[in-house]
Amino acid sequence: MIDPVQVEVIGSALSSIADEMGETLVKASYSTNIKERRDCTTALFDARGRTLAQAEHIPIHLGSLMGIVDAVRDRYPDEAIRDGDTFIGNDPHTGGGTHLPDIVLVTPIFVDGAIAAWATNLAHHADFADRTHAHIYTEGLRIPAIRFARDWEINDEVFALILLNCQVPAERVADFRAQLAANRCGVRRYRELCDRYGQGVLDEAGAALLDYTERKIRAGIAAIPDGTYAATDVFDSDELDGELDVGLELTVDGEEMRLDFTAPPQVRASLNLVFTALQATVFYAVKTVVDPDAPANAGLHRPITVDAPYGSLLNASPPAAVNGRTQCCQRVVDLVHAALAQAVPDRVIAACNSAVTAATFSGDDPRTGAYYVYLETIGGGYGAGACFDGMDGVQVHITNTSNLPVESLEAEYPLLVEEYALVDDSGGPGRHRGGMGIQRRIRAEHDGCVCNTSTTRLRSKPWGLLGGWPGASARVTDGDGNPLPGTVRTLSDGQVVAVFTPGAGGYGDPRERAPEDVARDLREERISPQTAKEAYGVESDG
Amino acid sequence: MPLRIGVDAGGTFTDVYLLDEESGNTAVTKVSSTPEDPGSAVISGVLRILEEFPGDHALNSVAYFAHGTTVATNTLLQTTGVRTGLITTQGFRDLLELGRQRRPRLYDLSALKPEPFVPRDLRLEVPERLRHDGQVARDLDLDRVRAQVRRLRDAGVEAVAVCLLYSYVSPKHEQAIGEILAEEFPEAYVSLSSEVHPEFREYERLSTVVTNAYVGPIMSRYLGGLRDALDAAGLRCTPYVTQSNGGIISFGESQRLPVRTALSGPSTGVVGAAQVAAAAGFRDVLTFDMGGTSTDVSLVNDATPRTVSGIEIAGRPVHAPMLDINTVGAGGGSIAWIDSGGHLKTGPRSAGAAPGPVCYGQGGTEPTVTDANVVLGILHQTHLLAGTMAIDAAAAHRAVEAMAGRLGMSAEEAATGIVSVVTANMARALRVISVQRGHNPRGYCLVAFGGAGPLHAARLARELGIPHVLVPRRPGALSALGMLTTDLRTDHARTQVTRLTDGAATACATAFSGLQTEAEAWFAHEAIPEERRVLRRVVDLRYVGQNYELSVPLPGGPVTEDALARLREDFHAAHERMYGYRATGDTVEAVTFRVEAIGTVDVPHAAPEPLGDPDAAAAVTGHRSVYLAESGGRADVPVHDRARLRPGHRLPGPALVDQYDTTTLVPPGDEAVVDGHHNIVITIGGAP
Repeated sequence: MIDPVQVEVIGSALSSIADEMGETLVKASYSTNIKERRDCTTALFDARGRTLAQAEHIPIHLGSLMGIVDAVRDRYPDEAIRDGDTFIGNDPHTGGGTHLPDIVLVTPIFVDGAIAAWATNLAHHADFADRTHAHIYTEGLRIPAIRFARDWEINDEVFALILLNCQVPAERVADFRAQLAANRCGVRRYRELCDRYGQGVLDEAGAALLDYTERKIRAGIAAIPDGTYAATDVFDSDELDGELDVGLELTVDGEEMRLDFTAPPQVRASLNLVFTALQATVFYAVKTVVDPDAPANAGLHRPITVDAPYGSLLNASPPAAVNGRTQCCQRVVDLVHAALAQAVPDRVIAACNSAVTAATFSGDDPRTGAYYVYLETIGGGYGAGACFDGMDGVQVHITNTSNLPVESLEAEYPLLVEEYALVDDSGGPGRHRGGMGIQRRIRAEHDGCVCNTSTTRLRSKPWGLLGGWPGASARVTDGDGNPLPGTVRTLSDGQVVAVFTPGAGGYGDPRERAPEDVARDLREERISPQTAKEAYGVESDG
Repeated sequence: MPLRIGVDAGGTFTDVYLLDEESGNTAVTKVSSTPEDPGSAVISGVLRILEEFPGDHALNSVAYFAHGTTVATNTLLQTTGVRTGLITTQGFRDLLELGRQRRPRLYDLSALKPEPFVPRDLRLEVPERLRHDGQVARDLDLDRVRAQVRRLRDAGVEAVAVCLLYSYVSPKHEQAIGEILAEEFPEAYVSLSSEVHPEFREYERLSTVVTNAYVGPIMSRYLGGLRDALDAAGLRCTPYVTQSNGGIISFGESQRLPVRTALSGPSTGVVGAAQVAAAAGFRDVLTFDMGGTSTDVSLVNDATPRTVSGIEIAGRPVHAPMLDINTVGAGGGSIAWIDSGGHLKTGPRSAGAAPGPVCYGQGGTEPTVTDANVVLGILHQTHLLAGTMAIDAAAAHRAVEAMAGRLGMSAEEAATGIVSVVTANMARALRVISVQRGHNPRGYCLVAFGGAGPLHAARLARELGIPHVLVPRRPGALSALGMLTTDLRTDHARTQVTRLTDGAATACATAFSGLQTEAEAWFAHEAIPEERRVLRRVVDLRYVGQNYELSVPLPGGPVTEDALARLREDFHAAHERMYGYRATGDTVEAVTFRVEAIGTVDVPHAAPEPLGDPDAAAAVTGHRSVYLAESGGRADVPVHDRARLRPGHRLPGPALVDQYDTTTLVPPGDEAVVDGHHNIVITIGGAP
């Protein structure tokens, strides 16, 4: 049997390959969503398609990569797959993605004539803009798991078909080239590792790494008191008229965990999750509580069972639309944390802003005449914990994209950022205060600018924990503060859209908050004198 | 008799290195650092080395004085800077907190962002707005500026940072604010982003200028006080301070731009290592400085350390020219432990100086990397630091054995495991700066220093396929040595996005001529004679559409269309080396133009001594029983005294070399030779 020291050494080398692939992808790409916002993920899979190592980018992308290797193998027998091939896919319903803009490239790594591993990466292509979401056919081009390149040369015919369906084809060409370069880098590095250790040792180490993660996760679950913990919440969206009830029954039994979700039937809107998206979200949420340091590989899944009714919001069947799935994914994390809060309240945090607030601007740039698509996701409040205030204005849970610098944005797109700031008084009061949401005001600098927004917690509020108060809700307004209903509007030159993302829940009774912390929040205008009085019982002169 | 002195004031020790230019003789001394008043150890160290050095010397015979300090670094890490205010574009006062919106760790719910250096109530906005091309979209409201300046003054801030959108394109609004600050609040320490870091990406520029203001008054006071003390002690020459880019600068420049000294300590170590290696014939080098709690690694091509434009210090981006040093939180004091999945791990927790490793006998109970090396017999079994510090090898053995029991291994196997895991961590750190930057370590020499570097270097080299390891004569004082011979250097940069299409030569030439004028002014101000002036030009290039640039040198001579054509070709080649492809059909654009202004310093080279008899028997002081993983058992290994090694001595592995602050291991299958400069050069067996 391979000794644990060698497993550790090889695991470290595999992680550094995934990291290097990620750097290659970010630095060589052209679209702002990848090069600055880092909305992409790279990973190495073993021969059977199990994740060996994933670069620390975006947790939900783990779900997009799950199943892609199986989908390739279902279509192509082993003898039809050759060294230098790369396959592409993005279809949530048939394997290879959780929404259509996340396009996966997967490359077999051949050693001694056989597939030894797979280099994979995913990039969120900010394309398929200004679509509707009745079902998946209206959301963009579905690409099954098919061959994209042979001998490292992209297949012109497949590429022409894809590019014809894209609205910003020039960016796509460069981004796909960067994706191919990232996989090529992974292939080269893996082979070097193989030269050093031999494939037999790498296979053994890979299997041992998965076992290792499984042991860690099992040990973490075992430390949680046995029992069944239930949680319910509501889900809302500007695409829906009312609120939807979602629920979870989470059972801890020794070193295993079972999660049974209840959810309404899938909706005729972009908000549905395919099962891999639900799985990836659950694995993320459980890992944060059970063992944040465990490697993100396929061993993580083994002690965890996930179930949700097929054909529901949380386990959608074809042809459900899924583009805005992340809104709902964030609510799944809240449910898992709410349930585990009953067992281990010190190890979870109050509800975060629980949205992936997206604002997409598109149109014809009067400076160049070319069509542009600018996608931004805006962070918000981070839930307070047992020992700390929640962070103000960050990306939470299943995403962690960067913002686009204003100085990069305005040079590339006919838009102007008027304000980028925290939302005063949006953090839920508590012994530890919940984080504050973000406001971003963007002005169109041309006529016919189409602005799509997507968020959640518009009606409900991110909950507090153990007496903590909820954070503020989201809202979208025009330049004068009037609410803008719906998700789409066309702006003329000079018109402004202001997006306010939700705050986050507080932790513990606000009356127990240290007076100096209340005073600092007041001095820094993070809370209003009214909140100081009503929530914290502190009178101020202001 | 002109003397040169380099003083490296670290956290624990202040090292002083002295060089007599005429004779080439050198001396080194160490005094304990005085963290409360770091300057006093500097003065006492300097006076001591002058006293110890043969002959009658006083401070007024010192012709060159360079100083490396951790004052700025420690101020940043311990967040002990001054109360700082910020003036920024209306709508953006929270940018300092929002940063890039990312949280620091993906899965760790309790990992929080660092507190910003300027609290929210001291971040004040002024109405004004530029567009990306520098056009004024909204005029600066001067009355409002005046009111905000008074507010900061009344709030008792000591430093003010100013950062407006697009100030790198047009600094006019920032300069106007600077003038009002000078009128209304002349005692404030003021930093303008257009002076500190005139480059694009507003958050990184903001974080940098705020950092500069936050440490500015501290560095100013420190260097001002030290300058006075050195003057009083009789120093006649201009003292210099080291910067993160590996060069030195006058105290005055450093007081204005302290952010450029934020990582000066490790950088001169790299410069020293590069010089020692170059003198020994190795121009392509990986440096490996492994200390007690952390390890710094970097890459040197053609005797020139690689530079980068910025890094994060404790979660805050700081952009300034600096050597590309990758620091990992693992060293000799790193604690070994078994995690919940049954894997052996080392670090990031460290036993530090107190309690220290178990073998120190100061209360440490968890085994460290140092304890593992004691168990294996690689380190001395009763004493460290040349016999001045007694250790308890039995205690180390017990601690490692307890851990070994849980792994089902012998103590020696577990100790070997600890060393393997820490070596893998180091290999990963080195891959980041070599393989990930497109450089194959097989063509490099590993220069090992720091207390724990020479212990692990040969095995690390084998792991990475590196053919040679060099252990300098004085591995503990390389930073101070680097200071003696480093060049004066300052970097001027300007972001001006320019497509390198036909006809771009004029625009590029204009960009460079402005920078060259700044550089000439600096040469004059620092009184650098004509023949010592060197200008290096670099352009940060990318394909139109990309947002990350590769720095490509532009050789001297006029900026013509032909020169630009060669520059483009160099970029395609660099891109291919880095990312594996070139996009020949795509347009290349220049983003930032850079001029490195260098005032060269004469490096007096001692000639190598002739190589003598290869037999090192005369240097052997005894044998230690060492457990060698390579041969799977214990062997009696000869121990050499570094002071008795002579040029030409050959040490076939296994062999050990003890010296004051480190031990070098030559594993079985490798062979060491002592070169004409008293370096130990290990050739890794089986290497090409």
